[in-house]
Amino acid sequence: MIKTKIIAIAVLLMTLMGSAFAAVKVDQAAPNFSLANTKGEQINLADYQGKYVILEWTNHLCPYVQKHYDSDNIPSMQRKYTADNIVWLSIISSAPGKQGHIDSATSDELTASRNAAPTQVLFDPEGEVGKLYGAKTTPHMYIIDPQGTLRYAGGIDSIKSAKIADIEKADNYVEQAMAALLSGKAVNNKLTPPYGCSVKYKS
Amino acid sequence: MGSSCLAAAYKQMIVFMNRLNIVLFLCALWLPSSFVYGQSTAKGEHIEVALVAEYQQLTPGQTNWLGVLLTPETHWHTYWQNPGDSGEAPSVTWQASTELEFGDIQWPIPHQIPVAHLVNYGYEGQVLLMVPVDLAKGSELAQQVDIQVALSWLVCKEDCIPGWADLSITLPVANEREKSAAASLFTQTREQLPNKDSISAKFEVTDNYLTVAYQPPFQAQWSLLPLRSDVAQHNQKQQFVSEGGVNNQVIALSDYFIAGAQQLDFLLTDGTVGYYLSASLNDGQVAASHSVIILMLMAFIGGLILNIMPCVLPVLSFKALAIGHNEMTISQKLGYGLGVLVCFNLFASVIIVLKSSGEAIGWGFHMQEPAVIAFLAFLFVFIALILMDIAPAGARLAGFGQALVSGNSFSSQFFTGVLAVVVASPCTAPFMAAALGVALVSPAATTYLIFTALALGFALPLSLLFISSRFAKWLPKPGPWMNTFKQLLVFPMLATVAWLVWVYLGQTSAMAQLGLLMSLVGFALAIWLSRQFSGIYVYLALCLAIVLMGWSLLSSGTATSPMADKSDLAFSPQKLAQLRDSEQVVLVNMTADWCITCKVNEHVAFNTELVQAAFEQEQVHYLVGDWTNKNDTILSYLTQYQRSGVPLYVVYAGNHYEQVLPQILTPETVVEAINLAKKELHND
Repeated sequence: MIKTKIIAIAVLLMTLMGSAFAAVKVDQAAPNFSLANTKGEQINLADYQGKYVILEWTNHLCPYVQKHYDSDNIPSMQRKYTADNIVWLSIISSAPGKQGHIDSATSDELTASRNAAPTQVLFDPEGEVGKLYGAKTTPHMYIIDPQGTLRYAGGIDSIKSAKIADIEKADNYVEQAMAALLSGKAVNNKLTPPYGCSVKYKS
Repeated sequence: MGSSCLAAAYKQMIVFMNRLNIVLFLCALWLPSSFVYGQSTAKGEHIEVALVAEYQQLTPGQTNWLGVLLTPETHWHTYWQNPGDSGEAPSVTWQASTELEFGDIQWPIPHQIPVAHLVNYGYEGQVLLMVPVDLAKGSELAQQVDIQVALSWLVCKEDCIPGWADLSITLPVANEREKSAAASLFTQTREQLPNKDSISAKFEVTDNYLTVAYQPPFQAQWSLLPLRSDVAQHNQKQQFVSEGGVNNQVIALSDYFIAGAQQLDFLLTDGTVGYYLSASLNDGQVAASHSVIILMLMAFIGGLILNIMPCVLPVLSFKALAIGHNEMTISQKLGYGLGVLVCFNLFASVIIVLKSSGEAIGWGFHMQEPAVIAFLAFLFVFIALILMDIAPAGARLAGFGQALVSGNSFSSQFFTGVLAVVVASPCTAPFMAAALGVALVSPAATTYLIFTALALGFALPLSLLFISSRFAKWLPKPGPWMNTFKQLLVFPMLATVAWLVWVYLGQTSAMAQLGLLMSLVGFALAIWLSRQFSGIYVYLALCLAIVLMGWSLLSSGTATSPMADKSDLAFSPQKLAQLRDSEQVVLVNMTADWCITCKVNEHVAFNTELVQAAFEQEQVHYLVGDWTNKNDTILSYLTQYQRSGVPLYVVYAGNHYEQVLPQILTPETVVEAINLAKKELHND
């Protein structure tokens, strides 16, 4: 009986933990959030209602992020989509003292030096938004449609490596999903396991 | 003296041998370098990597072992084949100057490495990734082989650094082999590999959970590490309940799990030993067909027995004597069987129509319904009365359609079959009633199958006679024994009535049972009276019998008040509707014996004192629907909730509130749901 109770309590804890980290679900409403940008302004996801929004979890010191920045893969995507009136939010969930935690000046510098073009770089030092979205790795990508529905969550492409040479050979899931969405088709791979460094959360 | 001298010499020799061993070992250490082609080791940031072989030679006809040795700095780690929430498994791409067959990496049992709230699987400290290598046929001629491996890895503390290296070694091909300096590493690593035996298991996906049922090799704190990264939430604690040597393990499902997998592979480990476990999707395809076959077999035997029943045997004997005068065509031979078959299936159709129309008006044929039990009790009493010649039997029918059956034409054969069924009905009733009972609670397809089996059994003996008269000697001769046999059959019928009345008590009350018994006696009296009188009194008596039966059935309907048999009631839509109409809180539990998740929930939630106490409360009812043998009633209930399988848990408060519970339960969720439903009940 006691054993049963222990198991029961453990299952309960597990359920609670599960709900605490319950990630968002594709094809369901993307939860709203509010984070500071490099100018110190609070940016709401809801501000971009009516536009496609791409979320990118990033950490400039992570080799997997470097793979996609040094190769100009992510910056070129940012330039292409933002020119098309699509919103690109780069989110940094690195906690203070951990890898990738940077101030606004460094962030602006990185954007300039890497020829990047995100709509905003947002700071999530408490990791709340990262946990809300279940972001596990850098990079970890999400696409939200103009109605506020999450349409894609997962890796940036299909080859889990830190090698720049693999980018050409890989299927870019974000580009595939955006192409499908923009032509009114269903997204084929709307949920893929992300790969990269772990997000450097506070806890 | 001589002996001590010998002993000293021996000691010297031992010392010398030991020295020789050390020298040999040192040679062995040096030897590979003399064969090295390119680099067998490389240094990355925070890690050293090396390509090593267990033996200094490659041996044809034997499995040779190569290995990639990863030696990260202290506190740095590398990854398992499933790195977990982040990270990357090392990868190897082999090339050789001669055709070699490289096997898969033999992954040692990994450790769980927490990173903030995420979890990785990997190895802290040195790890050897062993790979079996076979020389391909025809490559024995090569003198030596150059082997290259393109290795990539990720080494992490909290921050991660990827690395790449091309390593190579050259090994001579030889039939004799000697251990290399790294051989002991291979020996050590083999002890860290999972067991060779793999375990098969079943899995289910429910809500956000995966449940896996397996037989553990022994009792321990087992974890299931999926080989793919998109199966489980690695940071969630896994729980299992053990029942009869089977562990039912609950695992939080990965956000990236794509439904539709038929098979999932895991490593079952308690941290020190491991077993590969291959789980296939649990689709619950069990037992159902098996039990239908048994029922059909019983029906077939029942059909055979029907032939020697007192009402049937004379007809058949008459028919059997008549054959053999002239040759019959195939259609004539089969006419009788066809007649029987059609007749039985017509009967099955009538039952199905009655049943579905009965259900349409909300009167289900379930053994759980006391009215059905009462009806069956009346039916069996009536059969007993027939067998005792108290009730009017089908004697009058015997003359019916005499013209139709005489002769040997197809139609006469066909109608003989029909008539045999009709005429035999008083005697077949006991068997038919049993078949009827099964049919009433079975899906339509099963009903047809059972009645077809009954018909085949019934038609077989005479059909055989028609085909060959040699079978005639197998037929028992009619005689007075038939009457004795008929009377004997009264007692099994009465025994069935006794059993039914006992079942009825369990569903109602002692008073209701007394009422039923008195009605049965009155019913028998009325039937008996109808034989004693003539004219209008016959009808009066029969009316009395019908009124008694009708009253009994109606009163047993009301006897199943929510008061009776409070907990663990078998589910029926009628029962549920009744309880909801009378403003009760109802928890419906749809389960099946083969459902792993259901078992976990029963163990963890329903069987706890907390939940049992909640069920004991006033106005709270617990209904269990068993879907072990799938049936349409429960299926239609499940489809109401867009489900195609179990488990399903729904809590109702009267007719205005319902809540579907999650598929993984805790005692608290159940109790909370019941309390909430009670509140809803009192709010309105």
